[in-house]
Amino acid sequence: MPAVLAQTVRRRLVLLVDDNTAVRTLVRKLFAVEADFEVVGEAENGREAVEKAVNLKPDLVILDLAMPVMNGFEAARELRKVVPDTKIILFTVEEGSEVERMAREASIDAIVLKGQTPELISGARSLLDPEEGERNGGELRNAS
Amino acid sequence: MESALTKRNTKPSQKMKFLEWQREFEAALTEGDPQTLRQRVDAAEAAIFLRSQISVGRVERQAMDAATQKLRAIQKNKLGYPDWNKR
Repeated sequence: MPAVLAQTVRRRLVLLVDDNTAVRTLVRKLFAVEADFEVVGEAENGREAVEKAVNLKPDLVILDLAMPVMNGFEAARELRKVVPDTKIILFTVEEGSEVERMAREASIDAIVLKGQTPELISGARSLLDPEEGERNGGELRNAS
Repeated sequence: MESALTKRNTKPSQKMKFLEWQREFEAALTEGDPQTLRQRVDAAEAAIFLRSQISVGRVERQAMDAATQKLRAIQKNKLGYPDWNKR
């Protein structure tokens, strides 16, 4: 009987934060086909994201900017306090130097534009495992 | 009735391309019921998001950007979203 080499894949836990259900659904589908990621929760505003992050302790938060109750920048600052090791990707339609500056101030790790959704996966890998991301050609717009 | 967006693009094929997301956008712009406004804005935002996943021309991209900014204004002014750009 041939030996089976079992390879353990460390699944990275992802929290999706966006007020729009359709956006969350599409991003969830994107991550669902990747063996090294697991979407463990969703939130529809920044406050809910902070509350969920405390319990879920995700490796990565995909964070929208314009949301009710608490926006992405405010949420990022709060997330830094409660889950300091969690990586944060700002996933937004907003672009420009002002957004990048504010993202840096909020300690956001990277920005992916919503028009470039497939880059979320390669970008997430680059952020969580820079060597692996480099091998796979992942590239991110760094905010930090 | 033609909207301002479709009027700007005189070619019929361009007009057709716009219709999918633009219908949702215009429904959000003209929604008078505060109870359903959030739904309309979400639907328009989702339609623009889905459309943005494929390569579109410069004119349509600009129209989508302009529509997104208008939706942001509705979210801020009518739905009480916090202004992320306010310091």
